[in-house]
Amino acid sequence: MSSDAIPAALIRRLRTTSAVTDEDIKAVDALPISVREYAAERTIVGDGQQATECCLIIKGFCARSKTTSEGRRQILSIHIPGEIPDLMSLHLHVMDHDLSTLTLCTLGFIHHDALRLLHRRQPNLADMFWRDTLIDAAMFREWIVNVGQRPAPARLAHVIVELRERLKVIGRIEGNRFEMPLTQEQIGEALGITAVHANRVIKQLRQEGIVAFHRGHVEVLDENKLMELAGFDDRYLHLSPAL
Amino acid sequence: MSRFHFHIEENGSLIPDEEGHDFFDGNEARKEAIATGASIARDAFMTGSACRVVVDVHEDNAPYLKVSITLDVEEKG
Repeated sequence: MSSDAIPAALIRRLRTTSAVTDEDIKAVDALPISVREYAAERTIVGDGQQATECCLIIKGFCARSKTTSEGRRQILSIHIPGEIPDLMSLHLHVMDHDLSTLTLCTLGFIHHDALRLLHRRQPNLADMFWRDTLIDAAMFREWIVNVGQRPAPARLAHVIVELRERLKVIGRIEGNRFEMPLTQEQIGEALGITAVHANRVIKQLRQEGIVAFHRGHVEVLDENKLMELAGFDDRYLHLSPAL
Repeated sequence: MSRFHFHIEENGSLIPDEEGHDFFDGNEARKEAIATGASIARDAFMTGSACRVVVDVHEDNAPYLKVSITLDVEEKG
């Protein structure tokens, strides 16, 4: 991978969601990023650890999660290339949840000192990253509603549409197909249901002609039915600088 | 580790589990069956799509256990 591709998805996302200037982009592009490969299902920063760097996803999918004392894991959010899921570790010094890979990942690590310097030199970018963590919080609010109030088929539909809208921003949609490389167990953990229930819901959406899962991809079969089932309103993703 | 199949019935209509799921032992499969039955029943009862949910668990091809959950509302007024 050429070095200019490292923050490409991040820059593409910032251009869509925030009012960035060319000077901001240049500063992001110049960030010292150390690139490392991680296998699937590996912890990047664990609950209770102290991070000294933030993790930019270059390739692959990650998740933030918390595990109860009984060993039950709740996936809190799914993360895609161009996102920095542990940006809050810059200000919150001890991790209160796990950040781990879902798939094989290429990750770029940015030292906290480099980010602090960037924020001081380019306050506009500090505002943008602050906005990013606020959007994170908006997504958590939506996930609480999802897991707490929607029936399981609607929960899955909502997670699917959210992922698609976010992948769209970084140009990762092919027609009515996009990547969703989660196992049934991981889908269950994201929806707060068992793997067996997740399997049943996946089959139900297929049988009703709404979406089909194929080896890590989702194919939308009926857009109207999917949107109706999800009850999706994209306002919480704040996908343009005006929102 | 054993492979268990969780066939699900809602109001008598069956959704077979052809692929199955691996569990460490029968006790883990039992917990999964109860948690699955309870969460499917919650959705079915709340949306009114069914009033009886059965999770019929087979280990390999032999019946292992069956979890049945029925909604029983008695009108008093």
